[in-house]
Amino acid sequence: MVIAALVTFAGLLAAWIVAPSAERRAAARTPSAAPAPAELVAEGA
Amino acid sequence: MATINAGDTAWVLISSALVMLMTPGLALFYGGLVRRKNVLSTIMHSFFILGLVSVTWVLWGYSLAFGPDAGGGLIGRLDWLGLEGVTGAPSDTYAPTVPHLAFMAFQMMFAIITPALISGSFAERKRFKAFVLFAVAWSTLVYAPIAHWVWSPHGWLAGLGVLDFAGGTVVHLSSGVAALVAALFIGRRTGLIEAATEPHDVPMTVLGAGLLWFGWFGFNAGSALGANGVAATAFVTTNTAAAMAAITWVTISWLHRGTPSVLGAAIGAVAGLVAITPAAGFVTPAASILIGAGVAIVCYGASQLRLRSHIDDALDVFAVHGVGGAFGALATGVFATVAVNAAGRDGLLGGAPFQVILQLVAIGVVALYSATVTAGILFVVNLIVPIRVPHAEEEAGLDLAQHGEIAYQP
Repeated sequence: MVIAALVTFAGLLAAWIVAPSAERRAAARTPSAAPAPAELVAEGA
Repeated sequence: MATINAGDTAWVLISSALVMLMTPGLALFYGGLVRRKNVLSTIMHSFFILGLVSVTWVLWGYSLAFGPDAGGGLIGRLDWLGLEGVTGAPSDTYAPTVPHLAFMAFQMMFAIITPALISGSFAERKRFKAFVLFAVAWSTLVYAPIAHWVWSPHGWLAGLGVLDFAGGTVVHLSSGVAALVAALFIGRRTGLIEAATEPHDVPMTVLGAGLLWFGWFGFNAGSALGANGVAATAFVTTNTAAAMAAITWVTISWLHRGTPSVLGAAIGAVAGLVAITPAAGFVTPAASILIGAGVAIVCYGASQLRLRSHIDDALDVFAVHGVGGAFGALATGVFATVAVNAAGRDGLLGGAPFQVILQLVAIGVVALYSATVTAGILFVVNLIVPIRVPHAEEEAGLDLAQHGEIAYQP
């Protein structure tokens, strides 16, 4: 049981490492859908 | 034969819940201090750790920190991996009147808040993914060993006679020093003209400070591990030190800057709570007044020095937790008395000046170990995932860039 729990947690850890970063998400967007940096700044400020 | 006491068990369980509330309280305390574009990310760093360290503590953290000694008082063995053998029966070693699982849960809440404290120093520019990896490594490689040194009866600092009632060295000094190292490692925030930014929501920070103060009764009075006179002493000294530090900090800032700062009251209270943590169950209420006043002066000075430096410890974690933790550990060596707690030791004023030397040794060793290992962890994590976000993301704010959410609708 403990081994199964450790393996489950290791799976989450691996998922966090390979999870898409913000840069990859932005690159995956179509140019029309991707917010320009200036828009991001205005939205987040 | 250890026997469960209902009153002690109830107190330790409710104290665990009180300490748990401190981490969301810390999230609000830090969340109010940052700019509005980073409030969610700042809150998330504490809230996610509540989940993350809860799991790692059950899997391996508790065993490393409190398990049977692996040798030399340096670290626990993995006998209790996944809490195997940790049951509802009392432990032979810890808190003999409460279930072992209750003691474990109480300690878990300490393990959770400690890495969350560090998050304030490199706020507003760190990548969430990198922080998650950092938190797992730090709680395993820094927190667990130091907890073993100080709080396991076989720990080498405990064996020397070092006093730390509720975590002045284990929690606050270790995280404060790590925060300083993290701030130096990641560098200053982009476009920071002045040494500090204006808090976006002071009421949120004051609410967070209030929750921290409330939860700290569990942190310190709960560390008596029983519903008894030491718990009552720790409760009173905790409240008194926080109160004295709050009003002293406000007074200093009033004299220095011309206004009685609300933010100063909140930060001063937290500094007082930090400093009384190692001393709470070992000193008298009168001593806690002196500790509260002293830490307010010292931490206020440290925060002013930080403002004049080029170190961008964004939320002054080192000035409050590092300096306050060290001050409290030293003050414990001065004011501790067995008249308050027969299980403790006398300090300088009780005719035992050597206790001050022991406390200084603990401060030096914990600071050095935390600084060194934290730097190593940051270096390795940075190789796997860059810790700092790109310039455009920092400009946009981490809420939107890292989490795809904003705190406040336009």
